[in-house]
Amino acid sequence: MERSFKTEVESLRLGDGDVFHGEGILAVTKALLQSGVSYVGGYQGSPISHLIDVLVDAKPLMDELGVHLETSTSEAAAGAMLAASINYPIRGAVTWKSPVGTNVASDALSNISSSGLVGGGMIILGEDYGEGASVIQERSHAFAMKSSMWLLDPRPNLTTIVNMVEKGFELSEASNSIVMMQLRIRTCHVYGRFDAKDNRSGTISRNNKLSTPEFDMMRLPQPGFTGAQERLKMDKRLPAAIQFIKDNKLNEVLPGDLSEVGIILQGGITNTVLRVMQRIGLADAFGNARIPMMVLNVTYPMVPDEISNFCAGKRAVLVMEEGHPDYIEQAVSTILRRADLNTKLHGKDVLPMGGEYTADVVLKGLAAFLDKTRPAGVDHLIEEANAQSAEIAGYKTQANALVGAAIPGRNPTFCTGCPERPIFSSVKLMERELGKTHVSGDIGCHSFGMYAPFNVGNTCVGYGLGLASSTGIAANFGKRTISIMGDGGFWHNGLTTGVASATYNNADSVLIVMKNGYTSATGWQFLPSSLQRRDGLVKGDQTVENALKGVGIKWMKTVNNYKVADVAKVLKEAMSTVEKGLKVIIAEGECMLAKQRRVRAEDAKNIAEGKRVAKPKFGIDEAVCTGDHSCIRLSGCPSLAIKDNPDKLRQDPIATVVETCVGCGLCGEVSHAAILCPSFYKTEVVHNPSWIEARMTGLRRRVIAWLATPEAAPTPALPVPAAFAQAAE
Amino acid sequence: MTEATRPVTVLISALGGEGGGVMTDWILAAAREQNLIVQATSVPGVAQRTGATTYYIEVFGEKLQPGKPEPIMALYPQAGDIDLMVATELAEAARACQNGFVTPNRTTLISSSHRFYLLDEKMGMADSRLDADALEAAARTMAKRVVIGDFARAAREAGTVINAVMLGAIAGTGILPISAQALENAIKGEGKAVDANLRGFAYGLSVARGDVVELKTPMRKPAPVAEAVPAPTVLERLRDRIARDYPAPSTEIVMEGAARVFDYQDENYARLYLDRMDRVLAAETKADGDYSATREAGRHLALWMTYEDVIRVAQIKTRTGRIDHVRKGSGAKDEQPVIVTEFLKPGLDEFSSLMPAFIARPLLGWAERTGRRDKFNIGLHIRTNTIFGFALLRMMAAFKPLRRSGYRYGVEQALIERWLAAIEAALPHDTAFAREIAETARLIKGYSDTHRRGTRNFQRLFEAIVDPTLAAVNAGPDVYANAAAALATARKAALADPEGDALDKMLMKLGRVAAA
Repeated sequence: MERSFKTEVESLRLGDGDVFHGEGILAVTKALLQSGVSYVGGYQGSPISHLIDVLVDAKPLMDELGVHLETSTSEAAAGAMLAASINYPIRGAVTWKSPVGTNVASDALSNISSSGLVGGGMIILGEDYGEGASVIQERSHAFAMKSSMWLLDPRPNLTTIVNMVEKGFELSEASNSIVMMQLRIRTCHVYGRFDAKDNRSGTISRNNKLSTPEFDMMRLPQPGFTGAQERLKMDKRLPAAIQFIKDNKLNEVLPGDLSEVGIILQGGITNTVLRVMQRIGLADAFGNARIPMMVLNVTYPMVPDEISNFCAGKRAVLVMEEGHPDYIEQAVSTILRRADLNTKLHGKDVLPMGGEYTADVVLKGLAAFLDKTRPAGVDHLIEEANAQSAEIAGYKTQANALVGAAIPGRNPTFCTGCPERPIFSSVKLMERELGKTHVSGDIGCHSFGMYAPFNVGNTCVGYGLGLASSTGIAANFGKRTISIMGDGGFWHNGLTTGVASATYNNADSVLIVMKNGYTSATGWQFLPSSLQRRDGLVKGDQTVENALKGVGIKWMKTVNNYKVADVAKVLKEAMSTVEKGLKVIIAEGECMLAKQRRVRAEDAKNIAEGKRVAKPKFGIDEAVCTGDHSCIRLSGCPSLAIKDNPDKLRQDPIATVVETCVGCGLCGEVSHAAILCPSFYKTEVVHNPSWIEARMTGLRRRVIAWLATPEAAPTPALPVPAAFAQAAE
Repeated sequence: MTEATRPVTVLISALGGEGGGVMTDWILAAAREQNLIVQATSVPGVAQRTGATTYYIEVFGEKLQPGKPEPIMALYPQAGDIDLMVATELAEAARACQNGFVTPNRTTLISSSHRFYLLDEKMGMADSRLDADALEAAARTMAKRVVIGDFARAAREAGTVINAVMLGAIAGTGILPISAQALENAIKGEGKAVDANLRGFAYGLSVARGDVVELKTPMRKPAPVAEAVPAPTVLERLRDRIARDYPAPSTEIVMEGAARVFDYQDENYARLYLDRMDRVLAAETKADGDYSATREAGRHLALWMTYEDVIRVAQIKTRTGRIDHVRKGSGAKDEQPVIVTEFLKPGLDEFSSLMPAFIARPLLGWAERTGRRDKFNIGLHIRTNTIFGFALLRMMAAFKPLRRSGYRYGVEQALIERWLAAIEAALPHDTAFAREIAETARLIKGYSDTHRRGTRNFQRLFEAIVDPTLAAVNAGPDVYANAAAALATARKAALADPEGDALDKMLMKLGRVAAA
């Protein structure tokens, strides 16, 4: 990690009487410490990366409390940690981005759920769903149902969230089950406050270790025992959970005077619904709503009594459940049927089946529900809501007409100076000569190569699975295929699912391993082959190269990413050599964001100490650029932009390098490798030059000024046309 | 304080690296200083990688008091419900309008007027930019009140990031129940680059406090223009000829063109330019046109006659003004040394362009046949801050007198003549078609592969549309009207993708239409 979380760490030390101010995910971190966890693990990913990052920086506090922190290499590794709570009354929590991380961890979660827990075990899920999501769109809800894990979806205010973490551990212990808490992107990033409590040490911890192991066949999901464990889930754990939820009133009922109807909703979308109701006159700013609401802070399991009590006497209820399938709605339907209640059920008939329930979506759905059910005395509000919707639609139409075009989105792309961009430039150049081939992409920053301007990567099926996903097609493709993997994906599982498996099966394809030294896409966390470890110590020989050698890779070449022509050459060689077997190209280039963060500080220090430092930047000769933008199509660098052509005769905008350029050198290399144009030049400003260099510079500048080509003569002014001349007089 | 019935809603749309998160933190800190109820959230996701990112803030205009009920704070902005929209870039402001986040019933819009172009706009082979006037019109029309200024430039000039300037503008609008003083304190409290941020803040504040102040005039006075060098008599002679012969709509471009051609080669070459232009002028005068064909022909002829060969590139790169420009652009101060590296990769095309035709033609033919055209390029990193490097480039510029006897010169002139003849031939029939023919020269630009592709497309347009149309002299005016439109469409298709797929499709369709 190249970033410091000093302020965040301080807020983890708050205690009774203090008020915590900060982001949602940090509040959860604090809640874990207040709950007395003894171990925390996880795999980074938006929006929960900070949980781990902050704890890494909080080492002294973790030592005091005796909490073990595992920066796991995958969600499977993190999920398996919960096994600690199978035999012992020890609390622990793990975290990852869901549903992708939950997919990876499922094997362990299924088995642990069968064994059951005696200590409280929690999973904090960053539910990456809706706008701004970076993964496939699915729900974590299904995992809860299939593995008998309980799912919390708290109202998005920090007090409720923190309370639900604490209660979640108790629920876990009361029902011997894993409890998951799903937090949406906006909730993880929400800034709010809550009244802090003192942190607690676990009774068993690093500071107070266990001495004897426990053995019990009933805790092992082995043949002969899994059936009994399955029955325990149904007969004991589920009823215990339902009882706990009921007794502790984890779900909330908000009263309202329009009692003939009601809304059952996930806790996580409560604030959105209340705000929308406020807007159409059905609630005030403080959440006093006219329609009664049943807020499910626990979305699985549901408490049948609570639902049927809420619905009894109501003409209709609306289930507001984000995402599909409509698990909650189906469950409510069953509960109503069993209780023989005739309350009409609405949900996905007025709300969209899939997609995020933003305020605008909720407004539309709520208006449609009211329109269908027509509670007494609110007709005018329905008219108003519809009028408002129509007015907004009108504004959108007007704005569209004024702009006159759809504004294309800003897709994510490689940062300025990113070492992975040149690899894709090289692939493009290789393809010019050898033709296109199938490229199996992977997840990581290099996924951006799938976007314009490169559009390289034909499939992308999971983290670290680039090579594994190529093996079926490689055998059936007339050319060697290429697969891509980052060093993050490599350590996550790519080494085994990809390299070991493909080599074992005599693969004859090409693998590019992007070695940038961090899991950059998730926030520059260190990984086994990073130059540093999280504790700041220099790492040993846990390198990508050693691992590859260890699994029998013979053809292995390391390239300097920025040397585009050289990389293209190595790629061509890998594509055409007669040598059989997996050919691995290690694309070596440190993550530029991480590097800049370090180098900028180093440069400033060196300059202050009077050492010689040359700072590079690229430029473009305006009169040489003809405005074809080939350079942009082979790079897409954010710092390579366009601007009005200053030339009176030319019309097309010219390329320009903006201030954010870090002088990575790609522009020059690409224009060389692709024989583009001579517009680019590099400047390096030298700080603290030596005496000789300074003198030489003076001399050179004088001679060059003397040698220089004179400027073009200014264009003479044309006489003012007669008509204007007269008007002027 | 009156009872607040709803929070003030603020939506911020920023691009990666503009400090939208820090701006949000400042607002939060200021709200906390005033003990106000505030909540903020964001959707950064992968947005730090240069995507667009939004921050949503709600500030409740009442003080936090123990025991008093607390308002519900929402996490989503609602269309038609935003009090203050802040966009750090113009297209993002327009996008917010399209999404209903800027509406005349409620929203004050603060937007920077500068553009940070989208990749789609940058990638185009010619000009694919969105219409900035339309973007601004949407921003101005859809907002209840608007504060627009080039806040990016203001930030640059204040030596800060755009977020500080935008924060000043936010303070200036007075929409938030937070004082300007508290926002300033937040900047001070953060303690990073405080002076620069406060300068930017003060500027944004002043823009927003003036009713609708726009940053049309530069913040600083423009640098004094270098003393006018008297134009040499050659250019004056050319000027007199143009002033005498050419009508107003074309003079400025033709004058610029003549001067460009003179600078490129010599007076004779400039005269050749005007002789050629005279032919177009005569034909358009006869056709009673509006001289737009003459103007456009004047523009493209000058650019074509000054095609970028090694000599031209060397000439441009060794100019006095260019040396200063590079130094200034590098940000070097005083006497700091600046190392300048040029990336040149001359190859067969460049060398043969100066050889006589009887050597160059067979050589290039052989290279083309055997796929070796790009095999002999020599990648040069020339250090033009050194005397040797600079002298090398300066020497290339000095080859100017050899240019007109070289192979490429002949090739270009032949193609120019073909183009000119077509314009001349079309003018008597249809001036719009003639103007479109003039515009086809826009395809020919760039270097090596780009230049070859452009030339090839140019020739395809001639073979498919220009030549057949001109051959059908007696087919009536309809042929020409359609031809002008077809040629314009084909030119756009040729610039749609480098692979030429769009042009292929378009020409195929045209063939079918013609056959039917």
